[in-house]
Amino acid sequence: MTAMRASLAAVPLSNLEGMGWPAIPTPHSAHMLAIQQQLGQSQWWPRAQLRDWQFRQLRPLFEHAFRTVPFYAAHLASAGYRPGQEIDEEFWRRLPLLTRLDLRKAGAAIRSTDVPRAHGKIAETDTSGSTGTPIKVPKTEAEQLVWSSLALREELWHRRDWHAKVAVIRASGNATTGQHMPNWGSPLAGIFATGPVSAFEIRSDVVRQAEWLRREDPDYLLTFGTNVVFLCEEFRARGWRLPRLREVRTVGEVIEPETRRLCREVWGAGITDIYSCEEAGYLAFQCPEAEGYHVQMEGSLVEVLDESGASCAPGKTGRVVVTTLHNYAMPLLRYELGDVAEVGGPCPCGRGLEVLTRMVGRARDQVRLPNGEKRYAWQSPKKLAEIEPILRYQVAQVALDELEVRLVATRKLTPEEEDAFRRAVVANLGYDFRFRFVYRRDIPRAPGGKYFVFRSELEVPAPG
Amino acid sequence: MLALLQQFEQSQWWPPERHAQLQFRQLGVLLNYAFERVPFNRERLASAGYRPGMEVTPELWARIPVVTRRELQALGDAAVAPDLPKDHGSLIADSTSGSTGVPLRIAKSDHVQTIWSAITLREALWHRRDFRLKLGALKRDPEGLAFAPAGRAYPDWAAPFAAVYETGPATLLDSRCTTAERAAWLLQERPAYLVGFPSLIRDLARDLLERGISYTGLRGVNTRGEPVETELRELCRRAFGVEVADMYSANEVGYVALQCPDAEQFHVQSESSLVEVLDGEGRPCAPGEVGTIVVTPIHNFAMPMLRYALGDLAEVGAPCACGRGLPVLRRILGRARDTLALPSGTRRYARIETKTLQQIPGIVQFQVVQKTLYDIEMKLVTRRSLGPEEEAMLRAEVKKSLGDHLSVVFTYHDEIARAPSGKYFDFMSEIPA
Repeated sequence: MTAMRASLAAVPLSNLEGMGWPAIPTPHSAHMLAIQQQLGQSQWWPRAQLRDWQFRQLRPLFEHAFRTVPFYAAHLASAGYRPGQEIDEEFWRRLPLLTRLDLRKAGAAIRSTDVPRAHGKIAETDTSGSTGTPIKVPKTEAEQLVWSSLALREELWHRRDWHAKVAVIRASGNATTGQHMPNWGSPLAGIFATGPVSAFEIRSDVVRQAEWLRREDPDYLLTFGTNVVFLCEEFRARGWRLPRLREVRTVGEVIEPETRRLCREVWGAGITDIYSCEEAGYLAFQCPEAEGYHVQMEGSLVEVLDESGASCAPGKTGRVVVTTLHNYAMPLLRYELGDVAEVGGPCPCGRGLEVLTRMVGRARDQVRLPNGEKRYAWQSPKKLAEIEPILRYQVAQVALDELEVRLVATRKLTPEEEDAFRRAVVANLGYDFRFRFVYRRDIPRAPGGKYFVFRSELEVPAPG
Repeated sequence: MLALLQQFEQSQWWPPERHAQLQFRQLGVLLNYAFERVPFNRERLASAGYRPGMEVTPELWARIPVVTRRELQALGDAAVAPDLPKDHGSLIADSTSGSTGVPLRIAKSDHVQTIWSAITLREALWHRRDFRLKLGALKRDPEGLAFAPAGRAYPDWAAPFAAVYETGPATLLDSRCTTAERAAWLLQERPAYLVGFPSLIRDLARDLLERGISYTGLRGVNTRGEPVETELRELCRRAFGVEVADMYSANEVGYVALQCPDAEQFHVQSESSLVEVLDGEGRPCAPGEVGTIVVTPIHNFAMPMLRYALGDLAEVGAPCACGRGLPVLRRILGRARDTLALPSGTRRYARIETKTLQQIPGIVQFQVVQKTLYDIEMKLVTRRSLGPEEEAMLRAEVKKSLGDHLSVVFTYHDEIARAPSGKYFDFMSEIPA
């Protein structure tokens, strides 16, 4: 290690009078920084060492799942699991994959009946979803601590200036006139001093979003992937600029090389993307030094499997299968996400964390309203997840005032369920569309593997 | 603990200006407290023009008088604050004998101890020690339970290592054991890491080499307490195939500097202390110059030691190629009073060339003592009597190292005693500095 490493100039907030530096932080901050110290070390471990620790961590988790999760008692037994056994490569290969249908069928039997008290309170997730219909996953405080720590790692990797101003455009409630917050929120707030955040609602006219963003003139922008395309198109059409913008951060959708080019052209800033999913949280972060995404191996075991179920070699594309390492409320063991990813070779940065070079998952078109507004077609994954029979869905705009809902479901929706779906979509798109429900055996992916959760089939489609 | 290490991992790469900025901010709080709570410091600070609440600048800092160990010793309890700031935990009282045997009263808070422990871990992480392996320590056991042949066994590496990591076992051999006992213990206990005073390890390595015994189980040698000479580094490479990682610390101020993991020089632990190297006029030394080490622990509210002269000498180094922004000490030369007193009234650093000593078989131990401005006594422990030619060779070597004006006499001993602290000095001067 002879090269100088860039470092974080910020000092954590100290909880002890008279000792400003090094800081003696609050217990929560100390936990976060203590995990960060470990993440700072483990990222350089060789891949085999990381995998070894993943298996070690999985051993007690498997015992817990076997003992307290009715679904896994049967599922693991059928795979030949014996409590207390080592988790090794051979056993791992024998373990069947779980599909969304399996989880749906399992219902409450997939949840632990006895979560260790030390893991803290349990909260249901409410973040952006993954491909198709997400499932609801309860998470413990211990699990959240790990995820917040990974989010902090991402901040450190990309060396952001936390005193700068951030604009956030996502589903943030009633913020169509903009909302101002004093700090960057989790995971930074409380640990470090930060600058302010301005937030705006993504379920609003793209032109209004663009106008607001231009007024705010932030240093950083955080939004969903395809919304960057919509905003850039608006800025380009009007010849507007964001002179202070340093970096765009995206979550939730596939970022195409074309989107990165557009962003650089219009705003002169690069995109830093996060690959995450509702069920398992952060899966991979963009490498700070090279192309490609590093799998967050300390949080989950991510596999990319070919047709035969074997691990894909670098350069090959396969199905993404996730195992969360710390969720004792609802363990996910070899869960098939429905995303597709390409495996990368060892990263030139030297980190041992596995590499994904390209993810293919969720995508969406813009919705156009009869009054001429264009909007990001956000749908609440939580609301839709509550409708039991749905395995996958796609909403297509077939006319300016009509949507077709395509469903893969275990049965036909009842009128009440259809109504719940309708209400969830209308509330988010902002227009009382006419609805048509159709049932399909499968919903095909678009060429290139993208899965459109919202698809515009208007004769003159909106850009994006 | 790990939360502190996480901060250290970031701050080690900061430029020196950033360290200085945060140190002076922290010192602002400490000076205020020292002024209010410790009358002795109030006088010193007032004489420098300090008033409570004042911002600490490098100019103000340079005006604060340096305090010596002797002055602190004379103060006793008067150097200790009557209480600690809120939430700083309890006060840990201690004393250190030092090399001279005159005790110095020490007080520190729990939090100071925590920061020192975090630096202990930083040192081990810098040098990539594998905590799962066995640790061997050569140290005086106050309970007297660590004598040869087996020493004393421990299940783990003790705090702070065992509090944070799963560690392998440890074995301790009392530093009062003979070199032969040390060798037998090493070969029997087979530790992966060896910790101790340089002189103990030097004698051990030399003994094994002379007897043609090889021990390849070591992964690293970790020294403290005495200056490390190039000779020790070479001996450890030859005898064990490992590098020496040295550190510079003192009981009253904690860690001052740790050896860089990528070079044979030292990084000042700026997160814990402000370290200055001053010349005879009290000005900061430039890279390449040798001066007195003056340390200010920046968190010790229990016993604020502002500009404390440890009595050791160091050479200032240029910025390190490793990229760390922590200031560099190129060499730590040991106690200032063990410099050679010259007839001109000045003193100079005394280093004895050991090449000739190594060429004469049968020399077990030596120590060079300056008795007067013109007289040197060379104490020797040998396995056989030396011939007149050999004495002549040694005399020439000593004169070459220290100066032609000196006359050298030889005395022969069964053993050369260590200082009360257990440290050993190749050169001592009986002329007070």
